[in-house]
Amino acid sequence: MLVYIARRILLTLPIAIGVSLVCFALIHLAPGDPLSAVLPEGASSEVIARVREAYGFDRPLPVQYLIWLKHVLVGDFGTSIITRRPVTAELAPAIANTMAVAAVAVVIGFAAGIVMGCVSGYRIGKPADRLVSTIALSGVAIPHYWLGMVLIVVFGVQFNILPTSGMGDGGIGSLFTTWNGFLHLLLPAVTLSVIPASIIARSVRGAVAEVLKQDHIQTLYAKGLAPTRVFRHVMKNALATLLALMGLQFAQLLGGSILVETVFAWPGTGFLLNTAIFTRDLPLLQGIILALAMMFVVINLFVDVLQTVVDPRIKRI
Amino acid sequence: MTTRREALGLLSAGALSVASSPLLAQAKPGESVLRIAMTVADIPLTSGQPSQGAEGIRFIGINLYDGLTRWDLSHSDKAPAIVPGLAESWSVSETDKKTWTFKLRQGVKFHDGSTFDADTVIWNLDKLLTPSAPQYDQAQSNQGSSFTGSLASWRKIDASTVEITTKSVNALLPYFIASIFMCSPARWEEMGRDWNKVASRPSGTGPWMLDQLVPRQRAELVRNPNHWNKDRIPKSDRLVLVPMPDANTRVAALLSGQVDWIEAPPPDAMTQLKQRKMQLVSNIYPHIWPYQISVLEDSPLRDVRVRKAANLAIDRDGLVNLLGGYAQAAKGMVDRKHPWFGKPSFDIRYDRKEAMRLLSEAGYGPDNPARIKVIISSSGSGQMQPASMNEYIKENFKEVGIEMEFEVLDWEALRARRRAGAFSPENKGRHGVNNSWTYWDPDIGLIGVASSKRRVPNGYNWGGYENPKADELADKALQTFDAAEQDKVLADLHTIMVDDAMWIWVVHDLNPRAMSPRVKGFVQAQSWFQDVTPVRVEPA
Amino acid sequence: MGMSFPTEVAADIGFSQPSRSFWAVVGRRLRRDPLTVACGLILLAIILCAIFAPWIAPADPYKTSMAYRLRPPGDPRFLLGSDELGRDLLSRLIYGGRLSIFMGFAPVFLATLIGTTLGIIAGYAGGTINALIMRAIDVFYAFPSVLLAVAISGVLGAGLVNTIIAMTLVFIPPIARITESVATQVRSQDFIKAAQATGASGTSIVLGHVMANVTGPVLSYASSLVSVAIVMASGLSFLGLGVTPPEPEWGLMLNTLRQSIYAAPINAILPGVMIFVTSICLSLMSDGLRQAMDVKQ
Repeated sequence: MLVYIARRILLTLPIAIGVSLVCFALIHLAPGDPLSAVLPEGASSEVIARVREAYGFDRPLPVQYLIWLKHVLVGDFGTSIITRRPVTAELAPAIANTMAVAAVAVVIGFAAGIVMGCVSGYRIGKPADRLVSTIALSGVAIPHYWLGMVLIVVFGVQFNILPTSGMGDGGIGSLFTTWNGFLHLLLPAVTLSVIPASIIARSVRGAVAEVLKQDHIQTLYAKGLAPTRVFRHVMKNALATLLALMGLQFAQLLGGSILVETVFAWPGTGFLLNTAIFTRDLPLLQGIILALAMMFVVINLFVDVLQTVVDPRIKRI
Repeated sequence: MTTRREALGLLSAGALSVASSPLLAQAKPGESVLRIAMTVADIPLTSGQPSQGAEGIRFIGINLYDGLTRWDLSHSDKAPAIVPGLAESWSVSETDKKTWTFKLRQGVKFHDGSTFDADTVIWNLDKLLTPSAPQYDQAQSNQGSSFTGSLASWRKIDASTVEITTKSVNALLPYFIASIFMCSPARWEEMGRDWNKVASRPSGTGPWMLDQLVPRQRAELVRNPNHWNKDRIPKSDRLVLVPMPDANTRVAALLSGQVDWIEAPPPDAMTQLKQRKMQLVSNIYPHIWPYQISVLEDSPLRDVRVRKAANLAIDRDGLVNLLGGYAQAAKGMVDRKHPWFGKPSFDIRYDRKEAMRLLSEAGYGPDNPARIKVIISSSGSGQMQPASMNEYIKENFKEVGIEMEFEVLDWEALRARRRAGAFSPENKGRHGVNNSWTYWDPDIGLIGVASSKRRVPNGYNWGGYENPKADELADKALQTFDAAEQDKVLADLHTIMVDDAMWIWVVHDLNPRAMSPRVKGFVQAQSWFQDVTPVRVEPA
Repeated sequence: MGMSFPTEVAADIGFSQPSRSFWAVVGRRLRRDPLTVACGLILLAIILCAIFAPWIAPADPYKTSMAYRLRPPGDPRFLLGSDELGRDLLSRLIYGGRLSIFMGFAPVFLATLIGTTLGIIAGYAGGTINALIMRAIDVFYAFPSVLLAVAISGVLGAGLVNTIIAMTLVFIPPIARITESVATQVRSQDFIKAAQATGASGTSIVLGHVMANVTGPVLSYASSLVSVAIVMASGLSFLGLGVTPPEPEWGLMLNTLRQSIYAAPINAILPGVMIFVTSICLSLMSDGLRQAMDVKQ
């Protein structure tokens, strides 16, 4: 097992290098002048040349990549062209904000998914199952930025009972400590939770059905086994997989929350990504993409390794 | 492994910021606080020359700092004039007309207690313009370069006198100087000569002092009780600036009492804001929403008749309606009542018949439309509602026989294309660029766009407009030092620009802002900049 | 934008050719599955509307009328209301299907072509070539899909073509992976090894076999991607990274109407209904079809 884990970690290295190359290449595909954002109206060509040199954009690409990589390896993601703050300083609070909403979304999704999955699994093939399965499927098919807009219309416009945008004035510290902060968190988290909910529901449905098929359970069931016992069986069998799913969903949400963050003006990574794209702040853009992709890679690795530890029967590669 | 450590490092950094960022307002009990939601996505640069364009100057520049001159923003009924700031008076040499002498105000202290004098002026100019100076700052230099372009040299005469020489005769210097901000050299030394550190503890001479800065979340400013101008000592104890780029978020924040004042509420929210008893204030200011156009060989707009027809084809009242009434139909580059308006004979109005007549004279008609392609943006500062407005005008044009096609770019890409000029290869076949513009000073508003010597990158003349009479008046304005005389020359210049239909001018934004009914004392100046020192929020 | 790619789709592969009776079975199964049929019919209606939009739409989707902006649904002039420029929403929804659906199919189609080709080359060639291709694929796989799509189209800039490029790049890795695993399995079959040894004609035999076995799982997977692609494409337009105005496209319509969500909430969410209905019908239908075509059942 240790060999497997070591191997898995080693295999991640080339991926990480590849990811960094893609991030770098992406930015240099960008049409338009990255400097346009820092230059004031009517900057003279002399000013433009000076700025270009100051930002290192006059070096050959491979050199730029190596310089960048060297800095990244020591935790220096560069400096935002627009704000002149270190990219890491920009990223840290944004990542924290996105993590807060993504974590709550995954927890809500997990709870909803288990309920739906159990209902479905117990009544497999019955109308209840078909109904719940269809709902679960809609969770994946629904454009969730639109779901966010619908929630805004219902809870923000029609009933006007929930805040619909931003994080409130207390910042991330108040999300979990004040009622007002929690209310701000509610709609975006619920919106983001539909995908994890659907995916977990499907997985739980399968697991419940699997357990119910086992002979001794069938016998016990016939004798009036309490559903809670079945549930415990299911959890024993499927918990590792479910936790892994949660981890992976969390990672997807970190990188995929841009649309929902836009709808709710949530100041997280997606919002930052949007800003970086539309202000052509290339170092920031590069930093966000790299950080999010690396987190994705690491969480994947982590989930994989953890699963192997929890359940050594799972063999991979 | 490095990557993993990296990511974990980031995670803990994130966790740290959770624990440490002091996010709740630091207001002490009994303090009067004014909270403003800005449209920018981040707090503008605080170390001296602010970033984020006019909004940066409005909320950071003139609040934390002063220039040698300043805009008088205390009236809402007339265009603001340049008045003494840190300089009490100035004069220009009669002989070469390039050497300016500024007499500095005495006894002015920076927020850190150090004294403002001639040395600090020289130090600040070197900070922006002398790359070899230790205090030279690239970022501030970039931000300031629209205002420093005409400066050739500067020197101290005595502790309260400095001399500034311009590259060529330029009567507009006092306008530029208003946006060159003076920061404290002592604070820069104190912060280890690191401008990034100065940003979190800046020291100027302005009416407000920075108390706290949380990047992307808030800047908190407190009253400077020792400000040299006793009339401008803030009425509120504390000013909180919050960046909120999303318009709906700003509306929600105002309605929920999270802020007292929002910039640029969206037109469709006006009804709701009124119903909830919010104050809506607006005023004309030197903003114009135009198409800057190309008069190069391949452009149908080379023909003045087509340019005039385009100007006549736009139903500006309809547009004003679309914008919730918060716009004013344009009659030229500057607004009707502006001292530089002049007496153009070409009356810009909605007149489809005349537009069609002019077009048919030029050889176009509904069956043979004039085809133009313009660059527009999907959003951007000062662009108002670009998608809706462009769509609307396209329809207007179609009715008279002008087919307008769009190239939609994001804001920064559009700015880059404007900076490149119509004659650059990437702008080939583009006949206009929809870049909102300002006329806050005669250079950017009139001279820099109309003079043929000021083609980009030496100015703002994008499309190659050329008229010897305009050139002559532009030169004359730069050499006219008497303000009233200068206004007259500029009015003549503007008259020519309008009669030539130099651009397609559409509307002036009215700069709406919405405030809680408890906000008192605000006077909206006819300016991109506003004075928040007299504003006070009444207790609930 | 639910994006979790089932990577283990290609686990079981039947090595049989579909026979004529197969389709009869499928047809019979479908007749007992009204949901799938209903979804198919709704989709057909949406697609037909899009194709014949000029004959069906009650008004010109580009025609603005400022006097009638943001009319609520049910207005005598506008059946489903009007948008922020006073354009007829119903007409724009009908026309909008053209781009929205096209942007769902085009990248999946392209990615299927490119991904299958890459996968077959990798699986067939094996060795270094396989490693090269598959490690490159792994790298793209290491990005969260939404992030990758947003990053690429953000960098390339808005526009139909750029959006399609971005999404194609996102969809190639999973398709290439499925193909590669099938192709590798086929290659390891004994009879294939024998055929390979016979040279040129052997190669075409092998390719034929690979193709025959790859088609099923890839098509089944690709069909499930279309719904994801439609949601993703309109998401990009919603961010201002996809189609540019004034084209009628559902995501872009949501974007521009969002400004008016307080003034005309119902109008603002209408385009999303179309995206949702199309996407859910597509995924229910592809689910139903997959079950109906499942040989093991």
